[in-house]
Parts: sequence; structure tokens; C-alpha cells
Amino acid sequence: MKAADLTVSTGSHWHSGAKITDFSYNTLLALVPAIAMGMYRYGVSAAGVIGTAMASAMIAEAAMQKLLGKPVRIADGSAAVSGLLLALLLPANTPAYMVIVASVIGITIGKLCFGGLGANPLSPALVGWAVLRITKPWAGYLDFDLALINYDLGFSMQYPLAVLKASGALGIQDFNTWNLFLGNQTGGIGASAIVCVLGGGLYMVARGLVRWEIPLCFLLGVVIASSLFRLVDSAANADPLFHIVTGNVMIGALFLSTDNSSAPINRWGMVAFGLCCGMMTVVLRAWSVYPDGVVFACLLMSLFVPLLDKLRASTIVVRPTNVQITGETVEGGTSS
Amino acid sequence: MSIFKEFTKGLWQELPPFRLVLGLCPVLAVTKSATNGLGMGLAVIFVLTWSNILVSALRKVIPRKVRIASYIVIIATFVVIVEMATQAFFYPVYEALGIFIPLIVVNCVILGRAEAFASKNGVVASALDGLGIGAGFTMSLVVLGGLRELIGAGTLFDVEIMSAAYRSHSFSFMLEAPGAFICLGVLLAIMNAVSAPSSS
Repeated sequence: MKAADLTVSTGSHWHSGAKITDFSYNTLLALVPAIAMGMYRYGVSAAGVIGTAMASAMIAEAAMQKLLGKPVRIADGSAAVSGLLLALLLPANTPAYMVIVASVIGITIGKLCFGGLGANPLSPALVGWAVLRITKPWAGYLDFDLALINYDLGFSMQYPLAVLKASGALGIQDFNTWNLFLGNQTGGIGASAIVCVLGGGLYMVARGLVRWEIPLCFLLGVVIASSLFRLVDSAANADPLFHIVTGNVMIGALFLSTDNSSAPINRWGMVAFGLCCGMMTVVLRAWSVYPDGVVFACLLMSLFVPLLDKLRASTIVVRPTNVQITGETVEGGTSS
Repeated sequence: MSIFKEFTKGLWQELPPFRLVLGLCPVLAVTKSATNGLGMGLAVIFVLTWSNILVSALRKVIPRKVRIASYIVIIATFVVIVEMATQAFFYPVYEALGIFIPLIVVNCVILGRAEAFASKNGVVASALDGLGIGAGFTMSLVVLGGLRELIGAGTLFDVEIMSAAYRSHSFSFMLEAPGAFICLGVLLAIMNAVSAPSSS
């Protein structure tokens, strides 16, 4: 028998024909509505968080590439996108030092230590966010109810997922799903502007820069898992629609989980990845200590991408029954 | 004096966690503070030195086929001594290190030195080897623990170094498990960069 093949290398990538710069600048463009909504809602402090995150991500990328003796490629915009995605998940008044720590660790440890763009197993923005999330003394700044206590935007300023966590389905009766969908909820600067994120994401899908499988299956996974939870206990669990229009699900489905190098490249891999991300999100929302589970779900599933990439359409084709094995070709066999 | 090279090699050339990348389990787990790192390191020095001496003295007696089992018995004896001693005289350290004191038995640095060095060399050389490797191990633990404690809690050996403002909002990520991995990785990268300049 053949010995186990333990060679590891950077995964192959699905190619849209676009250049890295096209992808990055189109992502930035697609996120403009969400940025605009965030700045309209939370004012200059939102702009400060976004600017700090993008600038520190790009400076960290340039400095680290210089240190590692690689060509400095901040002009491709990938660091800017990572910084922006990180900022959109944070509350508008996150202190600057937290933003800088998160984006610098995300870019240096999460991306360049693994070989730079295309070789990172996890999305840099998510790594940065997770570092902040598990730093206990800073937890108050990431708790939307505490962080945004001085804002009154004319709608319920309670973080919907925190309410769900605290008082179950009864507590969230006051939230109007349509209102939530329009972005009338507290949350991250951009992540809470659900309709804007959806619009930007549809633009990315329409341009072919984001494949439709992952976002669709992500949302499908959320629906499946939340329906199951609701079947078991409808008093403690919210309906699927509530899960989709709150927290980071929309930005997670369209922008976070579709990060180029930490998502699968084959269709069935993408389907499995999306479904698992979505289901894991609801599981974490229901059972973890954190109100939202999107980021940890995406991080966890990104670690399975090398396995999910082995799911290929050709391996589940039914093998024809009477194939003459001539020694030259075997039809319908596995191809890899 | 070539015999002192057996001692000094453990301090840099064969520094266990960083150059040999051995014994990482306690390195990652107990370095939440410099004090814990020091306590763990001293325990390892004791066990390593005495197990090296005994293994070296018995190297002609122990049959080759059962040598690993014999080494484990020798190491376990000294680990039990350390465990009882810390429990009796340094109870806070015993509490802080917890399961990781008994786990010194399976620390691959100690078995590695018994197998690779003490079973082939004389008693004096083995004792110096154990002291040197143990000192290097302790040094690494204290550096890693100190760094993590300083950044993660703002203290060093439980002395408050940083201001109260820093300590109340310290970057406690460094005290978590991922912080240990990242801190170790960064230190490893720095040491490799310092000791082996790139050939290109």
C-alpha cells in the first residue's frame, strides 16, 4: 500500500479571473453602504474605529513584509479589507488601542506568519476579533449593551441577541423582524446594517467575486439549526428569521466566511462549509457564553477546510456497474 | 575544560523548549506567571539532575530491553519526592502547578536526556548535563512566564510593575492558552533569527 501522504502545502484556490486588487477594491466598494450606515448612526467615532483598523492593518502588513524580507504589497488592498471587516464587527466606541491590537495581531500572526495572502488558514479579521473577545478585562467594550449605553438612536437599544440569551423567545417579541432587517438594532458598526450588508453581498455575488454556495448554505444552515432548536423548545429559542436578521449572520455569510484563503474551493466543500458554519452559529448562540457565535463558527469551520476540500463532486458519482478494467482507464473512479 | 561544556550547552545550544522544542506541555501550561515558571523549573532541575546521575550510575546494570521502563521508575521516584516536598513546604506553588508536577514523569526532556546522554556518559558529565539542561529549561520558563505575566496581568513575580490603570485593563489574552502558543512562537522566531542569520 501507498504510504500516507503527509505533504502539506498551501491550498489551491478558486479563480474568478479577477486580480487581487479587483477583489479587494470591489469588497471595499460593496461595504460602502454598511460603512455609510454605521457613520450615519454612530457619527465620527465609527469613522475613527474604521480608519484606525484599516490604517493599523496596512501599516502592520507593510512592516511585517519588510521584516520578513518580502515585497511590500499593501497596495493590493487585502489588508485594508481585513481591517475594515474587523472594524465593522466592533461597537462604534471601541477604544483605539483595542482596534490596533486586534488588527495588528490579525495581520501579523493570523496572516503573514503563515505566508501571507492566500496561505492563511484563518481570516485575519476574525483572528483579531477573537483575540479581543477572549481578553476578559476588555469584554465590557465588546458587550454592545454596555458599550453603546450613551447612544439613543430612536429604537430599542438592547442588543437583540443578548435579550434572547437572557430571556428567551418571550423577550424578543418586541423586536420587529422587518425593523431589524432594516438595520434598526444595536450591534457592530457595519454588521448591524443588515440590509446594506445584504446589498453589498449581492453585488459581490453578482460580480462573481463571492460564490453563491457559501452564503446561501450559511443562511440555510442557520434556518435548519434554529428550526431544530425551536422544535425542541420553542420558549427558549428564536425563530429562524430572527437569527438571520440579527448580529453578525448576514456579514458572516456574505463577507466573513467567504474569505478567499480560508474557505473551500469545491462546490460540495462550500456547501458543507456553509451549512456547518450556519448550524454552528446557532449552536453557539444557544449554548455558548457569548451572545453571538458567527465569528467562532467561521474560525472553527475554517480549520476543517483542508478536509472539506476533499469533498469533490467526482467522488460521489456512482461507479458504472460493468466497467472493463483494461489497465488504461477506469471510468467513474475517484479523480484527485 | 570540556566537561563544563556539558553544562553550558543547555543554556543556549540545546535550550530545551526553544532549540530542542521538547517538553512543551508544561512550558505552555504553567507559564501563567514567572513564579510558576520558576517553581516548575526548579522541580525539573532536581528531577533531571538526580535521574541523570542515577541512570548514569546504573547504565551498565540496566538491561537494554527494559531500559525505558527502568528510567521511568527512576524518574517517577524523584518526581514523587518533589511532589511531596512542594506539598509540604511550598503549598501555594503546589496548588498553582497542580497536575503538572506529577506530569514531570512524562516530560520528554527528562526521558530524552536519560536516553540520549546519561545512559552513555559518566556520572559527573551526566550531572552537569542535567543541571545545564535544567537551568536552560528554568530560564526559558521564567522568561516566557515573565513575559506573559507582564503583558497579561501587569505584574512580575506578583510584584505590581505596571500602573493600576494598565492592570485593570491588561491584555489578559496572553494568559490564555492561545496567548501561550503565540508568545512561544514569537520567542522561537526571534531566537532563530538571532542565532541563525539567513543564508540568503
